[in-house]
Amino acid sequence: MGKTTLSLALGLRYGKQGRKVVLVTSHPLPELALSVSLAGLSSRFPAAAKNLFVVHLDPRELIAELVHKHFPMPIVARAVLNSAIFGNLVDVAPGLKEFFFLGRMQQLAERKREAAAESADYDYLIWDAPASGHFLSTLRAGRSFETYLTGPLAAAGADLNRFFSNRDNITILPVTPLEDMAVTETLEMTKELSEVFQLPAKAVLVNSVSPVCTASGEDLAQLSTANPSPAFRFALDRGLMEREMAAALRNMIPAPHVLVPRITRWENDLDLLAQLAGSLDIPGLELHSTP
Amino acid sequence: MKIIIHLGTGGVGKTSVAAATALKLARSGVRTLILTTDPSYRLRTALRLENALLEQQVPLEGATGQLWAALLDVRATLDEAVRLHAKADKQEKILQHPIYATIASSLAGMQELMAVERIDQLMRRGYDTIVVDTAPSRHALDLIDKPLHFAALSAARRVKLVGRTYKFVEALGLTTIGRNALDVYKRAEEMLGANLVRQVLDFYSLFFPVAEGYSERAKKTVEILRNPLVTEFRIVSTPAKVLRDATFFVDELATRGISPEKICVNRAWLHQDTKEPRTGVQGEILDWYYAVSDSHREAIDEVRAKLGNRVGEILVFNELERDVDGLDALEKIASQIK
Repeated sequence: MGKTTLSLALGLRYGKQGRKVVLVTSHPLPELALSVSLAGLSSRFPAAAKNLFVVHLDPRELIAELVHKHFPMPIVARAVLNSAIFGNLVDVAPGLKEFFFLGRMQQLAERKREAAAESADYDYLIWDAPASGHFLSTLRAGRSFETYLTGPLAAAGADLNRFFSNRDNITILPVTPLEDMAVTETLEMTKELSEVFQLPAKAVLVNSVSPVCTASGEDLAQLSTANPSPAFRFALDRGLMEREMAAALRNMIPAPHVLVPRITRWENDLDLLAQLAGSLDIPGLELHSTP
Repeated sequence: MKIIIHLGTGGVGKTSVAAATALKLARSGVRTLILTTDPSYRLRTALRLENALLEQQVPLEGATGQLWAALLDVRATLDEAVRLHAKADKQEKILQHPIYATIASSLAGMQELMAVERIDQLMRRGYDTIVVDTAPSRHALDLIDKPLHFAALSAARRVKLVGRTYKFVEALGLTTIGRNALDVYKRAEEMLGANLVRQVLDFYSLFFPVAEGYSERAKKTVEILRNPLVTEFRIVSTPAKVLRDATFFVDELATRGISPEKICVNRAWLHQDTKEPRTGVQGEILDWYYAVSDSHREAIDEVRAKLGNRVGEILVFNELERDVDGLDALEKIASQIK
């Protein structure tokens, strides 16, 4: 529910601050991976254009890379990749693609950490993760390799599992609109992340909130609800429901909640992202020293 | 019999639109079944989905037809397939196999394979119409592509591989094993780890009889899903994403010789046609509502102009004040279908 858009907006925010950002998307449909476009970035935000890198990681390509490493001769590597046995093995081995994806994320994260501050490749590594259920099963891939296998892959699985169960390595920012199903899913996901992976949410990004949701009690009291028009009744009822959901969410997840207003007018995708970037002030995530 | 399949990306309200469509049909005298993937708790209660393997009737007052609901539970459907199609002495081995546990629990892929299995089971039960709510999948049309791919794999002739103990080759679709293939296999073992490769192969040799039976049924079912006289495809999206999503799905379906019947634009804010005069805090809220509403209207006009001639109809569903959480909400959505 808005993960990709908010990931891009966050990347834009930090890019504008002069931070180098690598944003990884892993949408299962590469054709739809970027729901909004960054067209016009270099003319409107030259600083951000220099600092923001968006990559789409496809596990199949990662596996192909591994094959190329093992078979330096391109013709042999192609033969392996095109062979039915190899393709089918990769297809049916459960969790293999997720496993390779996590491996690459770990590499990227470690490259960020090891580099000295002045020569750092990037300051932020943002993962536009898959929807809640698939995100959890991706994280579980390391764990299942550790549990069900022996040998080098099991050791690698254990290593991945350790890395992705450590809050020093990964910051969780659940994104949810104030809708029943989405909130329920978010609560279930944050519960499992914090209990099974020891990864409590750092902040919750509450997406698409209405002015009724953010209005003061005083303003709300002024509203006349006699003979409302269909438009007003809808806007008010929906906003009041959002207030209830927001309160319930705050009770359940003990972390700062960042309210991101629903944007109503934008000239183009970049303008939408810039407006969203303005509300993404996430406590504890901004780097304050000069770049 | 008719089948209506709903396609769409995540979070657009496919389940609600599919369930409301089924409700509308039942109210108009049709014996309808809604097959849904994991719905929210309250929708599950509204649809009386207590048992993953059974269809349950949803009591409707004053309806001339009937509404039945069934759940697509991947694990339960797969367990059932193993019990029905594997030899008695192999069943427990399969069910206890570590690879089985990960396959059954990893939603990726299994969902589409099992959806077809479940549709096959349900087609024989005498419903007039089956409404299917698909899970957002890895590739747009895995529901159709994946079972065929799987069937092609398991259709290959069985070959005994001399000198190797694995009977896996049959499951991997090899008709002949040459020196090169063996070499590739050995290299795969080196790269992926012998243990994983062997576990996978061992599992598939056990699983093969189940897969074979599955493939036979899946091929027939997919034929039915591709037959426009029986099956209708509907694309579900929301105003902000509809042009992008619908273009993608219409094109993808076209490459498979399918033209979708409807585009359903869900969660639109078109509750009111004329704008009223407005002031104060109330005015601010209305300004905000109309701004969103205008953008929805533009998006829907654009999709009509660009895709109107490629689909039968474009349906618009207004968003409800409260979320879909029961039969009443479904009735409200259903009442918007002409």
